[in-house]
Amino acid sequence: MRGIEKVFINNNDIRLETELFLSSLENLPMATLVCHPHPQFCGI
Amino acid sequence: MYNNVVSGIFNHFTQNNISCLRFNFRGVGNSTGDHSNGMGELSDTKACINFLVNEQKCEKLLIFGYSYGAAIGCSAVNYSKTIIGYCAISFPWDFMGPEYKNLSQSEKPKLFIQGNRDTLARYENFENHYNFYLEPKKYRIIDGADHFYSGYEQEVAKEAYEFYISIIE
Repeated sequence: MRGIEKVFINNNDIRLETELFLSSLENLPMATLVCHPHPQFCGI
Repeated sequence: MYNNVVSGIFNHFTQNNISCLRFNFRGVGNSTGDHSNGMGELSDTKACINFLVNEQKCEKLLIFGYSYGAAIGCSAVNYSKTIIGYCAISFPWDFMGPEYKNLSQSEKPKLFIQGNRDTLARYENFENHYNFYLEPKKYRIIDGADHFYSGYEQEVAKEAYEFYISIIE
């Protein structure tokens, strides 16, 4: 099993902070998680 | 990205050796730019999908989104054929407006997780919104949980994981 890697993804002029974990298994769907970033809420 | 619900799911998936990406939208954490009220964040989601498909050679994707992240993330469901479904946790239909409800309509498998004490993604309106969506779909009500799921993170992660397993089997 590999570890969690910090990756920055470019979206035009924006750099997105991400964490990527790649399974050691093959041929499995990849799960993507979308965080909860609305500024009015805490815990982001 | 370090929200308790997101971390609960991310940690559960990684501990079970499931590939996973979590990210901060523009203007959050160390992501650059500013909050853009939705369309920019939808573009951010698509950029992450492109990264997984084009650079990581991912052939199938499931989207998991919580609150604002559910509205935005699940609205990308029809962006790519590699996306095979989504799980929306506390989708805030009432304050996001109909646009994201329409964008998240899909014939792909969907799971909606909702706390029965949620006053932001209002529980009393959940059934009405849920009925809008096409099959296949299912829902899970987390008894006692409000919008922030404090103390219910593992229950949410377990439901998300079981949905994942039901899709790949």
